[in-house]
Amino acid sequence: MLKLALRGVLAHKVRLAMTALAIVLGVAFVAGTYVFTDSIKASFSDLFDDVNSGVDLYVQGVSEFGFSSPLIDEGIVGQVAALPGVVIAAPSVEGIAQILAPAPCEKGPGADPTKPCPVGGNGPPTLGFSYFPTAEDLTALAVSDGDWPRAAADVVIDSFAAEANDFVVGQVVDVITPVGVEAFRISGIATFGEADNLMGATLAVFDFETAQRIFDADGRVNQIAIVLDPSVDATVVQAQVASLLPDDAEVITGEDQSEADLAEFGEGLGFINTILLVIAGVAVFVGAFLIQNTFRIIVAQRTRELALLRAIGATARQVTVMVVIEALVVGVVASIVGIGAGILIALGLKAAFAAFGFGIPTNALVVAPRTIVVGMVVGVVVTLAAAVVPARKAAKVPPVAAMREVEGPVRSMGRRVAVGAAVTVVGLLMLAGGLILAFDNAIAVVGAGALITFVGVSLLAPLVARTFARWAGAPMARLSTVGRLAQGNAMRQPRRTASTASALMIGVALVTVIAVFSASAKAAVASAFRDSFSTEFQVRLEGFSDPRATGLPPSLTDELRTLPELAVVVRDRFGDFRFDEDSPEQFLLAIDGPYSQVVKMEMAAGSIDALGPGRAALAKADADRLGVGVGGTVSIQFPSLAVAELEVVGIYDDDRVGVPLIIDFTTYETYIDFHLDRFIYIKVADGTDLEVARTAIAGVTDGYPSVALTDTEELIGDIEAQIDGLLNLLVVLLGFAILIALLGIVNTLALSVAERKHEIGLLRAVGMTRKQVKRMIRWEAVLIAVFGGVLGLVVGVILGSAVVLAVGQGLMLALPVVQLITYLVVAALGGVLAAIVPAHRGARLDILEAIAYE
Amino acid sequence: MNAAARVENATKVYGEGDTRVTALDDLTVSFERGKFTAIMGPSGSGKSTLLHCIAGLDSLSGGSAFIGDIRLGDLSEKALTLLRREEVGFIFQAYNLIPTLNAAENITLPVDIAGRDPDAAWFDTVVDTIGLRDRLTHRPGELSGGQQQRVAAARALVSRPEIVFADEPSGNLDSKSSAELLGFMRRAVDEFGQTIVMVTHDAHAASYADRVVFLADGKQSGELGDPSADRILEYLKSLGD
Repeated sequence: MLKLALRGVLAHKVRLAMTALAIVLGVAFVAGTYVFTDSIKASFSDLFDDVNSGVDLYVQGVSEFGFSSPLIDEGIVGQVAALPGVVIAAPSVEGIAQILAPAPCEKGPGADPTKPCPVGGNGPPTLGFSYFPTAEDLTALAVSDGDWPRAAADVVIDSFAAEANDFVVGQVVDVITPVGVEAFRISGIATFGEADNLMGATLAVFDFETAQRIFDADGRVNQIAIVLDPSVDATVVQAQVASLLPDDAEVITGEDQSEADLAEFGEGLGFINTILLVIAGVAVFVGAFLIQNTFRIIVAQRTRELALLRAIGATARQVTVMVVIEALVVGVVASIVGIGAGILIALGLKAAFAAFGFGIPTNALVVAPRTIVVGMVVGVVVTLAAAVVPARKAAKVPPVAAMREVEGPVRSMGRRVAVGAAVTVVGLLMLAGGLILAFDNAIAVVGAGALITFVGVSLLAPLVARTFARWAGAPMARLSTVGRLAQGNAMRQPRRTASTASALMIGVALVTVIAVFSASAKAAVASAFRDSFSTEFQVRLEGFSDPRATGLPPSLTDELRTLPELAVVVRDRFGDFRFDEDSPEQFLLAIDGPYSQVVKMEMAAGSIDALGPGRAALAKADADRLGVGVGGTVSIQFPSLAVAELEVVGIYDDDRVGVPLIIDFTTYETYIDFHLDRFIYIKVADGTDLEVARTAIAGVTDGYPSVALTDTEELIGDIEAQIDGLLNLLVVLLGFAILIALLGIVNTLALSVAERKHEIGLLRAVGMTRKQVKRMIRWEAVLIAVFGGVLGLVVGVILGSAVVLAVGQGLMLALPVVQLITYLVVAALGGVLAAIVPAHRGARLDILEAIAYE
Repeated sequence: MNAAARVENATKVYGEGDTRVTALDDLTVSFERGKFTAIMGPSGSGKSTLLHCIAGLDSLSGGSAFIGDIRLGDLSEKALTLLRREEVGFIFQAYNLIPTLNAAENITLPVDIAGRDPDAAWFDTVVDTIGLRDRLTHRPGELSGGQQQRVAAARALVSRPEIVFADEPSGNLDSKSSAELLGFMRRAVDEFGQTIVMVTHDAHAASYADRVVFLADGKQSGELGDPSADRILEYLKSLGD
């Protein structure tokens, strides 16, 4: 049987290679993701170890969660340095600083060519930190050209930024700092480990006092690195240091810091990892459909061969085993190739990252045993699982089938309907349960529910395949006999058509979910801004960034407030908090200025303008949950673990706000050491012409590059473009799954052409031209693809609507009709593409061979 | 002679060296218009090759094949296809019908492929002659073997081709169905003036023809006019002696 199975593999090289390709792609994606993220992790682990190895202890602000940590009084540096056994106590300060390349420079389209360009940003942070003369050995940076910043006006920049903008040592550049734009002289250029920068972050290193001044840290520091005399007991010194510190500061060992750094980094990386693995999973899932379909068709085509085996005495079990062994061979080979291809993908990703300025410190390429095991298991298990049903079907071939011509009888679909319906219902219930109940790991349940729904729908799809082809194929059937033949071919084996289309359905459905979600999000943004903003203009950072990591310098607001053309200038910030240890971390909004004049909020009780030090406004849902009303007290916790008891002065009943807590700036600055603003709301003074006001505002914002000044409609346009950009990225990644599904259409058609060679031969004999044969196959492909597309749109719209309704948050269900129609057209074009090879083969069939009677 | 199709000095060679087979060996034969000709001969005598080459399904190694006055060797693949569509009808031993089309659609297939409207009166005449009017909306799977072959024969006639080629059309049929099919082919010649060339093993089938051409080793070995089954069998026997 083994020999027969191997012969089987060899006899069907081409079709099995197509099958294998689906597995190779899926496994490659899985393995590539692991190798890539493992390599980055290892690289950074080395880096952090390297950075922290020379340091025995670190003193820093407590940051249990979220983004910010409190600063430490500078006086502690001296006290620590005075402790016996302390060799070095090096303080450091950090913040956000962005270098400006002088005009003319590379800019996006539509940008003002006379303005300077901000270097970096738009995602990765633009880091600024201090240099401390006694701690040169303690930094991971190496100055490759020039010298460390020795003077107040010196700055050291990263090598990537320097090369990209032709900066040289001695050149004077403008730098955006929290206190405004200032000129610095480039004293040196630094590299980070082996990389020119740190994962796309730009670096600007300042002299210590300058850093303190520009990062609003006069008399305070972010961190103190401590080097001890090797002869002293570190734990003793650690305890001594701890006794000097206030509650919101801590002292930890260098090793712990490495681990903490890595854990924090891993969290960010974990997110990328998860997205890539989800997409890999989708690819493998779609691949499974393809494999299953291929094996089923192969088994059907080998009915005579299998029957002959049965006739000469092979047991049903042996026939099953033979097909399973074939699948095993294909699965193993494809998985091995897939893992190899995955390593190449990882290398490609790394190269792409480097090319786009995301430096990775070392060139480690980590192929963990886990990667190989998971890759093999995924590839082999999926192949075997997909081959089980066809293998069992193979065993049912009666020996007598060897003696007669059979086109398998169409079995009743009763059982399939029952199973398909049950599976679909289970999937939908899981989906609904996960969305509505929102328990821990609800996302995983929702995902599993979606996959199960796909399987259920694919089981039901053959029921409608015939009807669909009759309906959708009617116009082309009426148009020509070729169309009529194509329609008939698509209808004759509804299971095959449905199974092939189902693979495409998955990709299209997921893309549709994204389209529905993004359309809903855009609709929500537009309506929220239009309804609630009573401002004429808004100012914010260009592009997409974390409002807790970067933002607008406060000086911007100060300058705007001096303009006589403006009546009201309000700014806000984001921060992290939680209600207590058991609650999840959430965002809070801090506002500075008469908020009710710029944003219309629906208040259930109290007023937003009553905010002040020690006061808060709460979302109604949280107020109800906590049982607090206006005048009551709410207790919240900040990342430093400081607890604030705030008086509730307002309760808002408005899910467009999106955060459960609003406080004022004084309270914010008491607990959170972050000094950049997220957003500035501007109301123009009565009687002032809008264009005049805009010119006045631009006069200020022009001094701050990478700041965007918009009116409300422009802002909506910008945000919509951002949402589109993000979701387009996901669509591109999911395009991979669609590609695999198209491969499935190629495979099915190629097998069908081989199966129908007599028919095609006859058609050619009675006068069908090659062109017409091609057209017939192409139309069949288009029908299958459009069927998959329609199924995908239907399932996708249902899933997407469910997600939108469950998420709530002011999202408004919107269906992007034009976009969905585009997807359908793209699916149809995909069908045309998929038909190229099979159509060519069909047209080239040797007529004599095709009509030969065996 | 008024030939619907003919070959002149036709040679067809397959393979190279040791596996070289001469299927047609300098054969010259023509098929008269409006007549029913049968080609007989033992396996390997070249009768199917002759049919394929004269029908434009295969090309000759040497010599010429004509349908009407058109020399097939001068035509491109596309032109050959169009010629088959317009001027040639086929009845094969099996795989004659497209399973997704009903009987009527199968009959009009060549006309439909050409994008023309079938001649309704002619269609009715042909359908009535094969006696399958009540089966027109049935799929091939719902027809008996004999009915399927009669549908195939109707298809071969519906475009009024210059010539119809039949390759063992009754090979898979029982004697009753076989008689019905051959009777229909005979009527097509007698009543409609159709030219038919049929390859067969079966002396009884060949007896429906006006003339039988015998092939052996790629050459014509003899012929009989207005044959009966007995005369054919006698002739074949005489060859064996």
